[in-house]
Amino acid sequence: MSRRHIRNILLKEWALLFTDPNSAFVVTLVPFLIVGQVILYIWLAFRFGAEGMLSAPVFQAALQKLVGAIPGVGQLPGEEQLLVLLLSQVNFFLLLIPTMIAMSVATFSIVDEKLSGSLEALLATPVKTRDLLLGKALAGAIPALVVTWLSAGVFLLVVWAVGWAEFIGFVVTARWFLTLFLLTPALAILSFMLGVAGSSRAKDARSAQNIALAIIFPVFGLIGIQVTGIVWFTPLLILVLAVVIAIAAFVSLRATVRLFGRESIVVQWR
Amino acid sequence: MAIIETFGLSRYFGKVAAVEDLTLAVEAGEVLGFLGPNGAGKTTTIRMLAGMIAPTRGYAVVAGHRTERNVEQLHEVIGMLTQTPGLYDRLSARRNLEYFASFYPSIESKSQVEKYLKLIGLWKRCNDKVGTFSKGMKQRLALARALVHEPKVLFLDEPTAGLDPEAAGEVRQLIRSLREEGRTIFLSTHNLNEAEMLCNRIAVLHTRLLALDTPDQLRRRFFRRQIVVQLETSDAKVTEAAKKLPFVQDIREEGSQLVLELTDSELNRPELVRAIVEAGGRVIGVSEKQYPLEEVYLRLIREETGNES
Repeated sequence: MSRRHIRNILLKEWALLFTDPNSAFVVTLVPFLIVGQVILYIWLAFRFGAEGMLSAPVFQAALQKLVGAIPGVGQLPGEEQLLVLLLSQVNFFLLLIPTMIAMSVATFSIVDEKLSGSLEALLATPVKTRDLLLGKALAGAIPALVVTWLSAGVFLLVVWAVGWAEFIGFVVTARWFLTLFLLTPALAILSFMLGVAGSSRAKDARSAQNIALAIIFPVFGLIGIQVTGIVWFTPLLILVLAVVIAIAAFVSLRATVRLFGRESIVVQWR
Repeated sequence: MAIIETFGLSRYFGKVAAVEDLTLAVEAGEVLGFLGPNGAGKTTTIRMLAGMIAPTRGYAVVAGHRTERNVEQLHEVIGMLTQTPGLYDRLSARRNLEYFASFYPSIESKSQVEKYLKLIGLWKRCNDKVGTFSKGMKQRLALARALVHEPKVLFLDEPTAGLDPEAAGEVRQLIRSLREEGRTIFLSTHNLNEAEMLCNRIAVLHTRLLALDTPDQLRRRFFRRQIVVQLETSDAKVTEAAKKLPFVQDIREEGSQLVLELTDSELNRPELVRAIVEAGGRVIGVSEKQYPLEEVYLRLIREETGNES
């Protein structure tokens, strides 16, 4: 592995990323739109739908698990317990950010180069496939991660600004930190690896986009499991999940390198 | 010393042969023109020689490296210009070159980038985005990219295809200057004039290698050497006098020209001129008849396709 090559690929990818208005929009603004929307939904649910939600068995079950995990929440009135429950889901919604950026950026990273003809020139240099793929994956994963953390900060700022500061202590727990600083990086790298893998197997931009859709479904699944309280993600569970995802990212890098098929890229793609 | 050698190099896609049994050698410092119709296997050959695709059978050695084995080492010593420039439009010319140069540890990329931007005449626009460049400028920049690490062998795949005459001329001028520097160039082209202008030898490929020789030798393969005597006016007496000469094997009139085949076109030429002048002919000039390379090429291809059918 050549760190120099990976760094060069990374810097070039960033130069391209931030000179493309569409990609720059997805990376810089979409995350904040997601956070804004989530806060709006929580506010609307808390303001107008709390009663109905509290009587729903799904939320009752989830609340029980929340109180079990953070006993202090049990001291709060029912509506505020619901608010804490909703706010504690946000760290999982933040997982959408790296996966969405991966869909938009990573899935086109190889296809675009092939269509422009630069990939063949690149493959004629001494660059190793592993360095190329890792450079491309990191070039997307790093800004996605930074933006996710910024979004988390913005979320806490808004929570404080709308007058819910007293609940921040129930939200920013070990779960929050593990999700943000362990699960999110692992998922970001996995999403970008899968995106690059999809891009390297796709024959055109459309099929790359279709492959990309597959990346986001498991994240929706995670959010669904958490919101409905089917499984309450304890710090240990998040840790295990992060390790599994990190291993999957490593395996997917190796598999992608093997599947990359320089020859088929050069010969079959037009 | 041969810097490119192929030994029975073949490549099949499924059951279809793209290149079959190609055996050739290219000397260091030579410019080899690689001609052939669309689908003849030119690009496939270049890709095999550049280690981009593996041969189905046979092998090639380029600059001492087996192309299917030592790919990374091979890529350090070859430069490749693909059919499309393949540059990053949103990056500057300098950034494009710096990026590709950065993969070669043995060079000082900054000075190399400056050197080649100056060589291709784009130094003044080095900070402009490539997307604002004309096709010709992009092709020159792509050529600089192929050269920036000082490769021992340069593969050029149809470098002037799709360029207007002026831009094509600029690219040819660059290739000519590289030839004068003694670079080894493997040039695939459709343009016969270009091949003749730039190449020491020409290989004609139609899946199999049909011919490999200098342009003059290729002509002689199909056309005997002929001398053209340009007269002031045509004169039957002069033609008769020339016909009687023992070394004249064939003669025909073409307007005010006599076209002759001689036993020895160098040695017999003075005697021929003397005989014509003695017969009253006024000689304006004597030259060798040049058949266009295109005729040679078309004959080779027709022979091959005739054989196939």
